[in-house]
Amino acid sequence: MTAAPAAVDPTVAGRTVALDWVEANGYPTKRHDAWRYAPHQQLTALSFGPPVTLASSVPDLEAQIPVLDGPRIVVVNGVVDVELSSMTGPAGLHLSSLLDARREQPERISSHFDRGDSQITDAYMALNLAFGGDGAVVLIDDDVVLDVPIHIVDIEVPDETRNASCTGVVIELGARSSATVVETRIGVGAEFGGSNIRTTITLGNAASLEHVLLQDVPPSHVHLSSIDVHQAADSRFLARSFNLGASYGRAAYDVDLAGPGAHVDLSGLFFGFGDQILDQQINVVHSAENCTSRQSFRGVLDDESTGIFNGGIEVRPGADGTDAEQSNQNLILSDRAEINTQPRLEILADEVACKHGATVGQLDDTAMYYMRSRGIPATEARRLLINGFADQVVDEVGIESVQAWITSRLGHDDV
Amino acid sequence: MLHVNNLTAAIGGKQILNGLDLDVGAGEVHAIMGPNGSGKSTFAHALAGRDGYEVTGTVTLDGVDLLDMEPEARAAAGVFLGFQYPVEIPGVNNMYFLRTAVNSVRRARGETEVGARDFLKVAKEAMDLVEMKQDFLDRAVNAGFSGGEKKRNEILQMALMQPRLAILDETDSGLDIDALRVIAGGVNALRGPERSMIVITHYQRLLDYIKPDFVHVLVDGRIVESGDHTLALHLEDHGYASFVNHDLDDAPERPLTGVQS
Repeated sequence: MTAAPAAVDPTVAGRTVALDWVEANGYPTKRHDAWRYAPHQQLTALSFGPPVTLASSVPDLEAQIPVLDGPRIVVVNGVVDVELSSMTGPAGLHLSSLLDARREQPERISSHFDRGDSQITDAYMALNLAFGGDGAVVLIDDDVVLDVPIHIVDIEVPDETRNASCTGVVIELGARSSATVVETRIGVGAEFGGSNIRTTITLGNAASLEHVLLQDVPPSHVHLSSIDVHQAADSRFLARSFNLGASYGRAAYDVDLAGPGAHVDLSGLFFGFGDQILDQQINVVHSAENCTSRQSFRGVLDDESTGIFNGGIEVRPGADGTDAEQSNQNLILSDRAEINTQPRLEILADEVACKHGATVGQLDDTAMYYMRSRGIPATEARRLLINGFADQVVDEVGIESVQAWITSRLGHDDV
Repeated sequence: MLHVNNLTAAIGGKQILNGLDLDVGAGEVHAIMGPNGSGKSTFAHALAGRDGYEVTGTVTLDGVDLLDMEPEARAAAGVFLGFQYPVEIPGVNNMYFLRTAVNSVRRARGETEVGARDFLKVAKEAMDLVEMKQDFLDRAVNAGFSGGEKKRNEILQMALMQPRLAILDETDSGLDIDALRVIAGGVNALRGPERSMIVITHYQRLLDYIKPDFVHVLVDGRIVESGDHTLALHLEDHGYASFVNHDLDDAPERPLTGVQS
């Protein structure tokens, strides 16, 4: 899709620009590489609009999300719910709603939306810019090292007036600071609905962020996540993506290694049942010298589910000394399940080390027999093998309570 | 205890076992020796219940017919196979695997399951037996284990599962002398009046450490000679040629180290 170079400010004027963009360029279709497997009929049935504050409470929230030791921002239908949130944190950490942050420090916030990568690339990004006026803001001062995780919870509750919402998340780490942010996305109800969340992450020099994405919206929902990351020199970004829920669950990462010596490590698990479509769209751009990038995604696909791994590595001219690796391993549990895996490499620099690989396999018969010969029933042996495959991603998560939540969500508490 | 009567097995239409008869009494250790391709491993897997074998004949353990059972049911009935090539299972914790195995068998027998803490205690004792360090329990099942570590892990599993019938398939293959001694020590410690063993080996060397009560020679899927441990010594000196009426084009090389007395 051609991107009209329109940087958008998230104001009412900006909303007009974004909606004009959609008017002019239309919605993505199957002809767009990044949207080839998306259910476009469902996506265009979502009724996005300005956020409406809902009075309805969220039943039993704690039972649906990991409970973490630290501050929390809860967003319901695109609006921060102050009651459910607890935004006080240690010195050097500033948590607020996006709406408040825009009012109080408009320039600092709009700088995140005026970045080069904020040029609209597709209609869903435009809709997010137009309607994602509220959300969560995490600002961390220089040299602040946080030892408690920050939890951002997004909840979609579709109703008759609106079945979809947009949320904006801004995370900014000052130079040499370090933090962990967990973003959990859930939803309520068996009604059709959707959420469209854009997270903008900016890492200062030598800053370090672990960012965990837990996508577990109900199977009646579609979910669009896009995470845009801008990394300054020597910064370190660890992404752990668990794309589990939704009828269509999309996790799109666009990482710009803008300063020399920056490092990104993206790993993820997508685990599909029924007719789920779980889509990972990854783009890592090496813009500076001597950066390293790792992409490592695992898919487990049962029933008639579909997995997509579309992983790009782009090495810009001058990004010499780039070291990039990508792998996608998949376990197919049914002959009706499908995986589409595609590496995209574009290398325009010298002295570049670039590796990629993909595997697609089934459960290992020999391992099944070995376990059964030890008395382990076939169903249990199968479960162990699948979990063993998935746990290798879960193990990458730095917070134990999040690991425990994922394993219990996957139906095994065996670690 | 174990009665094998006229057992045949074919894989993909190829006949491997041709009417094998064997009786193993309680507490006895039987060695099965034979040239490559004689059907030793097929016999082991036919007893353990591997898929893809067309099997006829009868095999009973304590009067229970094994051949119609799934592998996990055979394990619950007391069958244990120590694999020649133990399987690597990345991502599955060894400790968890061992406890799941023990508790699966206990559940199938209607016994109470063992909790994590009690199991750890038992596991530690069993690990001493095969001189394994505790970190083995924290690793994935056999993943990245050396050949010797894998074989020790097999004996550890046998010690924890306490089978009625242990079948050890080429447990000595790929082991140096020190590892062989440890493994044989573990096996000997597990000998008992209620436990029978079938030790499958290519070489007499293992039988210096695990003294069998009986030795059988398997050729072309059938037992052609039985005797006491002196039969193994005879084979060591004379090879299998006298039992085979065709050329031994795949005759094994001799063992690397001179352990025969």
